[in-house]
Amino acid sequence: MSEQIVIVGFGPVAARLVDELLPAVRAGQVALTVVGEETEAAYNRVLVADLGVGRTTADALALSDAGALAADGVDVRLGTRVRRVDRARQQVLLSDGTPVHYDRLVFATGSRPVIPNLTGINPDPASPVLPAGVTALRDLRDAGVLRQAVDGGKRVVVLGGGVLGLETALAAAEEGATVTVVHNGPHPLGRTIDQGGGAVLAAGLRRCGVRMAGNARSTGVEHNAPDGGFSALLLDDGSAIDGDLLVISCGVRPRTELAEGCGLSTAAGILVDHRLRAHHEPHIFAIGDCAEVRCPDPGCAACRTAPGPSGLVGPGWRQAEWLAEYLTLLAAGLFEDADLLPELPAEQPGIIVLKARGLNMAVAGDNGADPWDEEALTAGAVNGRPRLQIAQWADPEHGRYVKMTTRGGVLEGLVAVGMPRTAAELVGLFERNAELPADRSLLLRLDGPDQLPGSGSADPAGTVCRCAGVSGAVIQGAVEEGCATVAEVSGATRAGTGCGGCHEDIKGIIEKHFSPAVP
Amino acid sequence: MTTSADTHCPYCALQCAMTLTSPTGPAPAAQPGPVPVDLTTAPAAPLEVQGRDFPTNRGGLCRKGWTSANLLNHPGRITEPLLKGPDGVHRPISWDRALDLAAAAVKDARARFGKDAVGVFGGGGLTNEKAYQLGKFARLALGTSRIDYNGRFCMSSAAAAGMRAFGVDRGLPFPLEALDNASTILMLGSNVAETMPPFVQHLKGARDAGGLVVVDPRRSATADFTADGGGLHLQPLPGTDLTLLLGLSHVVIHENLLDTAYVRERTSGYSAVARSVASFWPERVQSLTGVPADLIRETARRLAAGAGKGGSYILTGRGVEQHVDGTDTATAAINLSLLLGLPGSARSGYGTLTGQGNGQGGREHGQKADQLPGYRKITDPAARAHVAGVWGVPEELIPGPGLPAVQLLKSLGKDDGVRCLFVHASNIAVASPDANAVIEGIRRLDFLMVCDFFMSETAAMADLVLPVLQWAEEEGTLTNLEGRVLRRRRALAPPAGARSELWIMARLAERLEAPSTYSEDPETVFEELRLASAGGLADYSGIDYAMLDRGEAAYWPYPAGSTGTPRLFQERFAHADGKAVMTPVLPRRRRTPAGNPLAESGNAAGAKPFTLITGRLLEHYQSGAQTRRVAALLAAQPEARMQIHPAAAAAMGVTDGSFVSVANERGEVVCRAELSTAIRSETVFLPFHFPELESANRLTEAVTDPISGMPEFKFNNVWVRPVAAPVSSKVLQTMEAS
Repeated sequence: MSEQIVIVGFGPVAARLVDELLPAVRAGQVALTVVGEETEAAYNRVLVADLGVGRTTADALALSDAGALAADGVDVRLGTRVRRVDRARQQVLLSDGTPVHYDRLVFATGSRPVIPNLTGINPDPASPVLPAGVTALRDLRDAGVLRQAVDGGKRVVVLGGGVLGLETALAAAEEGATVTVVHNGPHPLGRTIDQGGGAVLAAGLRRCGVRMAGNARSTGVEHNAPDGGFSALLLDDGSAIDGDLLVISCGVRPRTELAEGCGLSTAAGILVDHRLRAHHEPHIFAIGDCAEVRCPDPGCAACRTAPGPSGLVGPGWRQAEWLAEYLTLLAAGLFEDADLLPELPAEQPGIIVLKARGLNMAVAGDNGADPWDEEALTAGAVNGRPRLQIAQWADPEHGRYVKMTTRGGVLEGLVAVGMPRTAAELVGLFERNAELPADRSLLLRLDGPDQLPGSGSADPAGTVCRCAGVSGAVIQGAVEEGCATVAEVSGATRAGTGCGGCHEDIKGIIEKHFSPAVP
Repeated sequence: MTTSADTHCPYCALQCAMTLTSPTGPAPAAQPGPVPVDLTTAPAAPLEVQGRDFPTNRGGLCRKGWTSANLLNHPGRITEPLLKGPDGVHRPISWDRALDLAAAAVKDARARFGKDAVGVFGGGGLTNEKAYQLGKFARLALGTSRIDYNGRFCMSSAAAAGMRAFGVDRGLPFPLEALDNASTILMLGSNVAETMPPFVQHLKGARDAGGLVVVDPRRSATADFTADGGGLHLQPLPGTDLTLLLGLSHVVIHENLLDTAYVRERTSGYSAVARSVASFWPERVQSLTGVPADLIRETARRLAAGAGKGGSYILTGRGVEQHVDGTDTATAAINLSLLLGLPGSARSGYGTLTGQGNGQGGREHGQKADQLPGYRKITDPAARAHVAGVWGVPEELIPGPGLPAVQLLKSLGKDDGVRCLFVHASNIAVASPDANAVIEGIRRLDFLMVCDFFMSETAAMADLVLPVLQWAEEEGTLTNLEGRVLRRRRALAPPAGARSELWIMARLAERLEAPSTYSEDPETVFEELRLASAGGLADYSGIDYAMLDRGEAAYWPYPAGSTGTPRLFQERFAHADGKAVMTPVLPRRRRTPAGNPLAESGNAAGAKPFTLITGRLLEHYQSGAQTRRVAALLAAQPEARMQIHPAAAAAMGVTDGSFVSVANERGEVVCRAELSTAIRSETVFLPFHFPELESANRLTEAVTDPISGMPEFKFNNVWVRPVAAPVSSKVLQTMEAS
């Protein structure tokens, strides 16, 4: 008797769960139904902006193939919604009226864009009506709208200075659109980044051809385009930013209404414990953007400080992998093994790496403190816990900025703009909770041209030919004894007889020897 | 008899051509002296070594090749059969007695525990003839299925990936010279500048074009060639090569750099691979690997641009293959090459760089647990029938598949495992993963016979040691990294008491009253190999000694009546439909780091966790059993040194040349530290050429790739701490090693 698992939602996180459950489906241990609202199988939403600027194709975004899954025995329902969940009967009711029984139900309903309250846009948060020329850039259709604007060299206004908005703006600008980013505060990325990093980032964006409208508060949209579509974004100072397309990029909000409708506990997202189970409901799980890991135990220290849903896909994929292993064990009746499966470690605070070609930026953790801010640095330094230390380097002229906020040598925050190798290294150190070298400037030099030469194994001093192990002194001796060509030196000493990489060096020794002495 | 012979180097798979000249004519090797010896009094080599012009090495040799003749009359050489007495001391015995003892041990183990209680462990250094006859000897004379070889630690992952994708596994499916004109070469996990230096000549074109891309967590000597405009060095975290390759494929697909016509006409499986890499965009891969997104894009673009110009090649080495996901990593590299349309095209390709001297031929002719000659599957009824026909035995006499190397070694001395083991051309006590456990297994054996010419660490544990010939004393063939069959020729008479493995097998077969025939003449054995391989994937039936002696370039498959195959896949791949198969692969989750074994003993002060990677030095080969006996090589690299970044070392108070302990739950290495900015700060490197307290494989885990059986050599968790100099002195160890 196989276990019936139903997954609500068919985005990237659900796709990973489906893939990981496939072995159990093929083995007949799991009967799997996946219900997706869109007519396409899962695709990589992260790359929708790339699709919108014509940098990739819809085919290449695909993460799942409905036909292949069906061939493996997965019941795939596309273009279908779950109307409601009947927990008493353990079944879901689909939009086409069919009921589907479940032994385990997984919510992977993701999130929906936040639509700010603007005049000219229907304010119903659950189903806002976006006028022509306004898009939240969430799905393949939205990408098509952006594509038209970019291909036509139109004016694109991006509302929101978050990372997705910046990525869209950069890509669209590079592909020929005229782009303005409208955001709150003095610099983009808000409190995620610090002032210095934000300033260098904003300058970098401008250098890439993106117009930045900061400290702006938008109040409404104007529809004066010939087709009645968007024509300008109105700001509270009475000014307007003209454009042909408004891309709303104001963050996302977990989709919880289906879970709320069946009485599950929710906060920002559907509340789940450390095994991703909905509170007090052993048959229902939630993963990805719609889930909020916060267990019912009020004494749980991890949950007290846990951030809400991150809106990033990485944590969701890790949850999908873990849950697949857990559900597979349950389906196989290995309840003890399932209980013994170590819980997912708590997620690191979100790491943001700007996905762009012309501009490199990574930011993670808390970057609020500054090097001279004694109060911030000593805060939390109690009971032997070390205080914060900050190393900072700014070169705004060249678009480079790095800040490392550490405690006990381990990163608590990082900002790196215009320093690709440093950024890659710092993100790795942050993820691994690894200790930074005491000399922090080592990390800055990764992006410099002055890296010390080094080689695989100890190189005895003065070795010219590593392959044959011949020193410069031996070669000098051969030259003094009459060898006048590389071939002759090779014949006498074996230098240069391996990879040949030292021929220039040997030639140099010969030429030096035979060149007339300077009077 | 001649006074000079054209042959090839005894060491790696590049098989550099060399000429051996005897200044005094064909004199027998000098009589060896007692063991141990003082290296400084070793006599001069009896042969002069000269590099010979050949397409692979172009006259070049490395230090190992130049000094190779020093071992021929090395005073530590074994020249008589040695039997270990009850006091643990090895003493000479006659050949008759030695062979009688070996045969009796086989019969005894068979009678008490069954035929699979006898095992054979071969090596990638054996000639084709020996490798072929060893497989036959094991299956027919010993009647055991338990044969495997050290190539399992070397080429098995790339071999499995090549078979899966192309239907055939030949390391380089093109002549090495093809690299000369390439504008882009991507080398993953291969440090040819140290492991096969003359190879580097073939990278010049790509370096001049700025197109050499080296992927290595260390800035290796090979990675150094990318400096000054030679190309790019990508320095991923250890264990993340597969992810990096998925990122490269992602860029190829999403930036539309792929060869769509090629993918459509010559491959299958594209859609699933495209879906599998869709979630590996460059910035995500950067977070997972530490390689900047821009470098990932740049590499993909250079590969695509190179394919349209002088050619692009993707080459993998042990660095990316010696992992529990080695087969999948090699598959990811192959998928990338297929997306770009490289394999089988006129100027581009994918290849894996075979390591051991006959690592290619050694994996084709029946030394592998699951194979019969000609790269045939031992489970394939048609293959079994063919080989049984050549051997003149009923098919059911050929046992089924045995155990891959790691499992074979784990079974040593166990109740249902191998009780009597023959080891040929291998030093399992040093070269195997989790070497401490292997040494324990060897101690459990009822009988160990080792064929070697030196008292290797494994031979030192053997009940019976049989002295065999060195390369300059024997005839035969080897197959180099290109799949080209080469002649090894005799330049010197062997010591009076040494014998060829072929002779030993023939004599033992007589004593065991084995079915079929066992010649001691290499050419006769090769003639039989031709028949046995005919019709197989690695078909040698059209090759003979006379042709090789004329200098003809013979690349397999070489069916009788053909002219061989320098470039594979030009028309079709070896699968039934002629297409290459792309298989989607994903990184598996890594196990959680091991705990600190020292923490429990309360001795962990100052120990810090690192990732250990293992590898090679220019001066040494494999377990070092040979190269540690060459004075010049040992003087250059006398001991293992753990490479560590100065920043990481400073944090522990470790200085250059100071001693460190490198430990985990499997064992401990104590050696000197070498500070180098060429390594990542969370990683340390150890060469695996050294024994005893410096044996890196005491730390590696015997966990294996589910497809290839390859162990995890390149990603192990260790704890490093500074320690005082070890009690046992280096001088003493050097004496023992000699």
